[in-house]
Amino acid sequence: MNVVARHRRTLTWVALLALVAGVLVYVAASGGSDTPATRARDLSAELRCPDCESLSVLDSHTQSARAIRADILRRVEAGESDEEVRQFYVDTYGESILLSPEGGGLGVLVWGVPVIAVLLGGAGLVLALRRWQRQPRLHASGEDEALVERALADRATPEEPDGE
Amino acid sequence: MKHPARWITIAVAVVVAVIGIVLATQVGTDPTADTRSSPLLGKAAPQFSVRTLDGARVTNTTLAGKAVIVNFWNTWCTPCREEHDALSIFYARHANEPDFAMVGIVRDDTARAVGSYQKRTPDPWAIALDPSSAASLAFGTRGQPETYAISPDGLVAGAQIGPATVESLDRMLDAARRIPQ
Repeated sequence: MNVVARHRRTLTWVALLALVAGVLVYVAASGGSDTPATRARDLSAELRCPDCESLSVLDSHTQSARAIRADILRRVEAGESDEEVRQFYVDTYGESILLSPEGGGLGVLVWGVPVIAVLLGGAGLVLALRRWQRQPRLHASGEDEALVERALADRATPEEPDGE
Repeated sequence: MKHPARWITIAVAVVVAVIGIVLATQVGTDPTADTRSSPLLGKAAPQFSVRTLDGARVTNTTLAGKAVIVNFWNTWCTPCREEHDALSIFYARHANEPDFAMVGIVRDDTARAVGSYQKRTPDPWAIALDPSSAASLAFGTRGQPETYAISPDGLVAGAQIGPATVESLDRMLDAARRIPQ
């Protein structure tokens, strides 16, 4: 029992790490077993319907969207990678066919700025917390205590009537 | 690190300045600009195969060696009707040129609607159906009307998103003919 108590913190960390590793392995494994239909569906959700305003190919019912869904499935079943399918549509329609910005060019800014903002915010928070911890604790001095006692005594003594 | 708060403030200022510069340089640029042009310009025309109303097959191969105007349209599209006169005038001017061809590909419409429309107002150029939208998809069309010019050696030489005029059609045909074979 003593050993368990002594290593409780280590065991907690090991259990947490095992849990995180398990989740990662599960996610990786489930990602690898995507069926062509699932992959085609995911890719359809990434592309903007070309003749709608802001709907994905997956959500749109236009003839173009239906044709693109069928084309994506055909490409996936023919062995094209997700990147190859995306690239075909960018080559045919331009970058605006992608609902999410790409990782290059201005896209770096779109993805990078929130990360930098979170890091800077976190750093600022840590700094502020440290500063607050460093603040000296205040103790009442004898003078302060005497002042409070006098104030309490004054309140306890009833007021004398004015000159009568 | 001495004065960490100062460094964080400087970092925030730098990030804000970078965002400001990027936004300033982007003012006036339209993120949807590529929807008004075609990324296919200058590239090999996409492979397509469509069947005309009288049953003939039209493909890249059957059109090879000609300057081709491909017009995507349909019967319910008002801008398509508005550009129809321009297409008729343009076609009449060039119909007898042996190196010229024009095909109207129906986008997002039914064979029945197109059939009755063509009975009422028949077009002298080839009208083809695209029931699986394969040709519309290959050209990256976003709507109709859209018009493309293909050079005799199969390059996309011009693209018009929206209604074409006689002048814009002439320009596209010239561009298609200017590409050396």
